[in-house]
Amino acid sequence: MDRDLLRQSVSYHGPSLFSLLKCEQSENPDFKQVVADLSKSVNQSDKDDDSPVVEQFIARKADLLFAPSWKSTTLVEEEWQEDLREPYAIMPPLEQFMEVSYEERRELFYRDVERGDLVIGRITSIRDFGFFVNLLCTAGDFERDIEDLEITGLCPVRDVPSTGNHDDPLSYYQIGDLIRAGVKDIDRYHEKLTISLYSSSLAPNLDRIKLGVISKEDLPLHYIRGEKVGSGNSDAYERLLDSSPGFSNPANVDVLLRKLGINDTRSPSLMRGLQSKHFIEDDFATAIRKKQSASWALKCVKAGVDHFKSGRHVDAMNEYNKALEIDTNNVEALVARGALYATKGSLMKAIDDFELALESCPTHRNAKKYLCQTLVERGGQLEEEEKLVTAEGLYKRAIALDDTFQEADEALQKLQMRIQVNKKIKTKTQTYFKLQLSFSRISGRKLFLCSSFL
Amino acid sequence: MQAPRSAAVAETGQLGGRGNAAAVGDSSNDTKTHFRVCRFIIETGVKLGMRSVPVATACALYHKFFQTASLEVYEPYLVAMSCIYLAGKVEEQHLRTRDIINVCHRYFHPGRDPLQLDSKFWELRDSVVQCELLILRQLNFQVSFEHPHKYLLHYLLSVRCLLNRHAWSRTPIAETAWALLKDSYHGPVCVQHRPQHLALTALYLALHTYGVQVPRGEREWWQVLCEDVTRTQIEDIMTELLQLYDMEAKCT
Repeated sequence: MDRDLLRQSVSYHGPSLFSLLKCEQSENPDFKQVVADLSKSVNQSDKDDDSPVVEQFIARKADLLFAPSWKSTTLVEEEWQEDLREPYAIMPPLEQFMEVSYEERRELFYRDVERGDLVIGRITSIRDFGFFVNLLCTAGDFERDIEDLEITGLCPVRDVPSTGNHDDPLSYYQIGDLIRAGVKDIDRYHEKLTISLYSSSLAPNLDRIKLGVISKEDLPLHYIRGEKVGSGNSDAYERLLDSSPGFSNPANVDVLLRKLGINDTRSPSLMRGLQSKHFIEDDFATAIRKKQSASWALKCVKAGVDHFKSGRHVDAMNEYNKALEIDTNNVEALVARGALYATKGSLMKAIDDFELALESCPTHRNAKKYLCQTLVERGGQLEEEEKLVTAEGLYKRAIALDDTFQEADEALQKLQMRIQVNKKIKTKTQTYFKLQLSFSRISGRKLFLCSSFL
Repeated sequence: MQAPRSAAVAETGQLGGRGNAAAVGDSSNDTKTHFRVCRFIIETGVKLGMRSVPVATACALYHKFFQTASLEVYEPYLVAMSCIYLAGKVEEQHLRTRDIINVCHRYFHPGRDPLQLDSKFWELRDSVVQCELLILRQLNFQVSFEHPHKYLLHYLLSVRCLLNRHAWSRTPIAETAWALLKDSYHGPVCVQHRPQHLALTALYLALHTYGVQVPRGEREWWQVLCEDVTRTQIEDIMTELLQLYDMEAKCT
């Protein structure tokens, strides 16, 4: 069990939760390991009201809520980019609506800002060692309301990329320019911020973002929206949310689930009966369907075989095709159809079906047997068409499948002898012609004399 | 058109007698039946690979149906199957009746072989499709719901900004809130409150569970997210939600 989470929860709710936990989780070995540790952090609760019902719930479900495996969201480390198509409603920072105090916002900003964050501000003064920027807003996933907090960042001259010509890089900038920069360093105690215009200062998922001078159009959407929100309207958030185009996007649930890292189809539940360990793979729709399709297909194959045995080849083929429609690549259907093809003389189609069957079920006896026979038969056909090398390939395949298949062996040997003979004839003919050619370079009379020797 | 209980039961008779509602008109028995059937819907949803929103629609359809219909007249498991089928269409995650029937058949007859393509199968399929029309008529064809899910996700994003990123990443707020929301569909609470309120309650409970301290301003974070809700209302919904977990112990 996650000690830190438990500690946080217990110190929030107080000793009442602790005693409930001890009661409900007494059998839990994971809890026993942490209970001694926990008792040290039990003191008066931080919260202002009692909630016995909630505490009872926490205590009962603690084995789930504080289990390390409960934390199942996966952190999405992909490139961050402002999605201007707005697949979901992009809202201004909640701080703004809540009207969190100046001091608190400032404190929270300095507590939470980190190296590599993106900030946007306006240049207030330019010195020879760098320029100062008054922060307007944050960008990336870190959204805070900081415009009025008077937070300044210094961009030292060494963090300003040169513009190519050997001028002072700072001369490119003017007071009032909007700057997008990365946070390079933070002095939380003195509340000082150092920023940089180099992409290397940014976190990896932000480093594609262009730094430097930007225009008003490049300001993040959450800031622009925030500007338009007046203060004092208590339902401002709701109205803004409902009117955002992204809120009406039917796919926004999927987009946000991905963004937050929640897996939708196997997401956990707090109900005991819905824990994933209670689900058997065989009860799932896809597994049942597969089994069922195979069973339905088999019925068709049986009917087809009956037709075949009674000579009704067309009906048999129909049944086999039906079986394959119900269950593609059904092994029995393929073997049966292959046999039918072979009987009718479509040997190549037969071979295709048998090979496919063997792919799913390499040990299928009949598939192997029929395939071997068909290969040899086809080899014979090819030999008659003088396609000797292809035929050789087929015989070899047959032997590879079943080395006890004598016919294949014999056929291969016969073929190989034939190939050898052909080769000898070929080389003799070639030598003869080569000689002919070389003689043609010598004088005609000598040719006559030489050729009479052959 | 009526699907009197006797006929529907005869057709689903092969589905078996697990949880055949006593339907004595006793409301606590009825509540238990509804809980069990919703559990059946959610479980089936998992086995069919359904997303959360279509499952939510199926449960909402079921609850709404039985707000005006009686368990004495309609077989709840058949209604549930048809709700699943209808929800798949409404929420654009189309499901095949074959898969629904397969999963449900196995639910009632664990370990048995899948059904053959015979008259029994076609009868079941016809029942589901006919019941679907019945449900549509009972609900006046109003079958699209505003679900709390998208509200919850947007709220999660907004609240995430308020917190320190490390605190966020080590505290399972999102998954707990999502689980609480999904579990709430076991009871009629899902159709008795505004979606914003349900979403808010799930998030509130999740934050409360882990003792997360959220910054304070002139207004509380939950007052901002939903202007017309009071803390008492949130606590009431929370209580109803938590009662569902107690129900589980009594029903299963």
